[in-house]
Amino acid sequence: MTASGVASSEERGLESPPWGGFDPSRTHGRGVRDTWRSFATAARLGWQMEANWTDPVLFFIYSVAKPLSTTLIFIVMIDVVGGASTAEYKAFVVVGTALWSLVLSGIAGLAWSILDDRERYRMLKYIYVSPSDFIITLVGRGVARLAVGAMGALITLAVGVVALGVGFDPARVDWLLLAAVTVIGLVAIIAIGVVLAAICIQTRQESWSYPEAAAGALFLVSGAVFPLAVLPSPAQVVGWMTPLTWWIEGVRRAVFPAGISGIGGPESLFASYTGRPVPDSGEVVIALLATGAVVTLAAAVVFRISERRAKNRGLLDQTTGS
Amino acid sequence: MSSPFVYRPTDSPAAAATWTRRQAFATDLRAVWGRAYPRIRGMGREKSWIFFEILLPFLTTSAFVFVYRALNAPPQYIGFVVLGGAMTAFWLNVIWMMASQLYWEKSQGNLELYFAAPMDFMSVLFGMAIGGLVMSSVRAVVVLVVATTLYDVSFAVDQWLLLLAVFGLTLAALYGLGMILAALFLVWGREAFHLTQGLMEPVYFVSGLNFPVARLGIVGALAIGVMPLAVGLDAMRQLAFAGTDYPKGTPSPGVEALILVVMVAVSLLLARWILRRLEQVARREGRLSLRWQ
Amino acid sequence: MSAAIEAPALDVRDVRRVYRSKPNDIVALAGVDLEVAPGEFFGLLGPNGAGKTTLIKILTTLLLPSSGTARVFGFDVVDDTKRIRRIMNMVAGGEQSGYGILTVRESLWMFGQFYGLGTRDAWKRVDELIDATGLQEQRDQRVATLSTGQRQKMNFARGLLNDPWIFFLDEPTLGLDVAAARSVRELVVQWKAAVPGRTILLTTHYMAEADELCDRIAIVDHGRILAIGTPAELKHRVQTESIFRLELDRLDAGAEALSRLPGVVSASVAADDGDGHERQDVVVNVVLADDAALGGVVTALGRLGSQIRSLRKSEPTLEDVFVELVGRGFAEADTADGTNRANATNGANGSKPRLAAESGQSAEAATGAEEELV
Repeated sequence: MTASGVASSEERGLESPPWGGFDPSRTHGRGVRDTWRSFATAARLGWQMEANWTDPVLFFIYSVAKPLSTTLIFIVMIDVVGGASTAEYKAFVVVGTALWSLVLSGIAGLAWSILDDRERYRMLKYIYVSPSDFIITLVGRGVARLAVGAMGALITLAVGVVALGVGFDPARVDWLLLAAVTVIGLVAIIAIGVVLAAICIQTRQESWSYPEAAAGALFLVSGAVFPLAVLPSPAQVVGWMTPLTWWIEGVRRAVFPAGISGIGGPESLFASYTGRPVPDSGEVVIALLATGAVVTLAAAVVFRISERRAKNRGLLDQTTGS
Repeated sequence: MSSPFVYRPTDSPAAAATWTRRQAFATDLRAVWGRAYPRIRGMGREKSWIFFEILLPFLTTSAFVFVYRALNAPPQYIGFVVLGGAMTAFWLNVIWMMASQLYWEKSQGNLELYFAAPMDFMSVLFGMAIGGLVMSSVRAVVVLVVATTLYDVSFAVDQWLLLLAVFGLTLAALYGLGMILAALFLVWGREAFHLTQGLMEPVYFVSGLNFPVARLGIVGALAIGVMPLAVGLDAMRQLAFAGTDYPKGTPSPGVEALILVVMVAVSLLLARWILRRLEQVARREGRLSLRWQ
Repeated sequence: MSAAIEAPALDVRDVRRVYRSKPNDIVALAGVDLEVAPGEFFGLLGPNGAGKTTLIKILTTLLLPSSGTARVFGFDVVDDTKRIRRIMNMVAGGEQSGYGILTVRESLWMFGQFYGLGTRDAWKRVDELIDATGLQEQRDQRVATLSTGQRQKMNFARGLLNDPWIFFLDEPTLGLDVAAARSVRELVVQWKAAVPGRTILLTTHYMAEADELCDRIAIVDHGRILAIGTPAELKHRVQTESIFRLELDRLDAGAEALSRLPGVVSASVAADDGDGHERQDVVVNVVLADDAALGGVVTALGRLGSQIRSLRKSEPTLEDVFVELVGRGFAEADTADGTNRANATNGANGSKPRLAAESGQSAEAATGAEEELV
């Protein structure tokens, strides 16, 4: 009830006030509640779209086949060459590829939501003009695909431990480190997804393959499937600037502490720069935080620029395609 | 009659409906060019593909190169990965720009217009393939040339003609397979799209994109028998790196070329048959013009 | 029209179309019989979900009938698809086909290739059609940037590329504003006038459009044809007499003076227009057995000293015809169908795509009174 005794807009629902005029309080949002509702609705929608195209068994197989195949590709590559250190390296690769499926899902989720909604369902403009924050809605949609990727990653890791010789000791897991890098890392993944989504707003329908291409490129410099020490020094520096590199290192350090480091190692730039073989946990977290913050800030800026450009050029409701 | 609405007057609908074989064939050829046109034009109008379809995939191939370097693999394995990276471009073109493209076409309402037109639907698929081939070829050449230079790959080819023939046959077989997949997309919806996504890496695995497929044992043998990419890549590797220590267990390039010939013939004939059958299924079930809105 | 055309443009015999769905199958067409002569402008008029689009999709070879036969100029829609596709074209309302990245000119040229036009021929034809459809200024504009009306004109130009013998128009003015809709209708009329031997099948739920354009109309509901005839014939079913509304300066002798005239069924003075305003003139509604009796009425009014300020004929609309046939209006029909479709789809398997409304779904069980009138 307002001060003058009239029912507030919340109490009235969608009805106009008794005097028939415009009620400005209707334009006020409800802050965090609205944000949460937008996010939750978008996440639920995203999950439905991800999962309801087939039966649960086929969906499970589909979710696991991709990351498992990627892992097997590297396992065979290692087997092909053979050698003394292959067992250790296999473990390194299994962890990296499993985590990479999460990366790919996360960054593809947002970009594909843009393309889906604009080209296939023609809903992008309606989502955009709704009171929900556009980026919150996108992130919600992307989270569903991230969840599918997480499921694939966990199963791949499990297969790695059970069947591919990855050594795992639950007693040695650093849960605090794992929690910290997981949270910061997911934010960074989503931020990279936001950047790709911003790009896809500008591009045409064929940019469906762009997230995979971007993930493939990041693959090179993030120490996922080979230690950064293999790369030339400038490329290693690029790797240091990528939050994914520190995230993967942090997860490896937390869950498989005895394994090979992606950043350190005898011939790495890190070792030659710091004099230490591998970074410690604190350094990993701080570096992840710093690079993640930079990427997140950049993502916010890039997205806003892209959004403004899209509005200027009427890209939000166009259909492209060739 | 001078009205702009009049084009080529015929005496009757029966006369207009009766085309010679030459007319029909010419229409199919024109349709190929017509469908390729938007792809090729689009490349010039929206250039983000240069970064995302050329540069980034090159970096992905480089990642596999560095894996072998980390493992101190023999130098020819770098070459195997580079060749695999180049051929990936064509496979991606087939699966995304041909097969699953029909899913987009259905949503946009183009699919029903294609079927309502008098051309053979295979012309549309050929057109899509050729349109995408331009981009894929650029990608393949960049990966091959730049990676070869950067990573010091040494090729040793002594049967150039056979190598080029195998390359051509591989593409033909791949695109034939693409047509079969496209036909399946006519009757599937989101299932096909998701399955395509999900099958990318398994196909890379069984095709030996990053390692000699002989290493897969029985799985590799099966792949040689059914997957154009597997047999074509294996043959090209044997020919491009002649004289090096190539893993045993796969047929010779000549035999693999013959396998490809059979694959081309079978895939094109099968594609034609499947397209016709599935068009009937799609017409029966009303799947040619499904749209969300 | 050439004497060589012997087959009807459309010959539809007992065509049924059933869509498999859970929990109940959807009967979109429940046995349709129809014959359209060459050169006719034929309309299918009915509410959403009546089956109009389903029938067009069958005739344009995109959909198979579940049973029955349909022929286009003698060619069977099931077996002679290639031949039919060479002589027909189609345009639907709300069509978003084509590729946004191409210009209007390029897009039309591309479709021209699909119909076998040589490259040079195609560019020439495209330019002519662009001029004819008033898209000169949009010629080099990308398709993605066109307005709805411009897009539809482009679609119309696309439909004419191959100079079709039969042109299927599926709600071509759907979603267009008044000016754009009028523009499209004018194009249709111009084309028909330029090539009088060609046939058009138009589906619409805009009665005025059907009334204005069509030589004959079939009224469709729930997958059945309820009535076929010219617009005048259909309206005559509802109202055999002619009703005129006259505004007079005065009528001292009263309406009874007119009632006694030959050919006048009844005459009455209208109380007011319902807006509560006091009249300065007298409004008389006169029901005549035949239009010819009007002359007598006008003469009588002159003798009675009344001056006619305005005279208007009141005609039933096609919706009146529909209501007469079905017992409810188009809007009620749409609402009822929407409810029935919602009930039919609630139990459907969500993993398969749902058929769009354009496919012409209708509830399986007929609701309301239906008359076998055709």
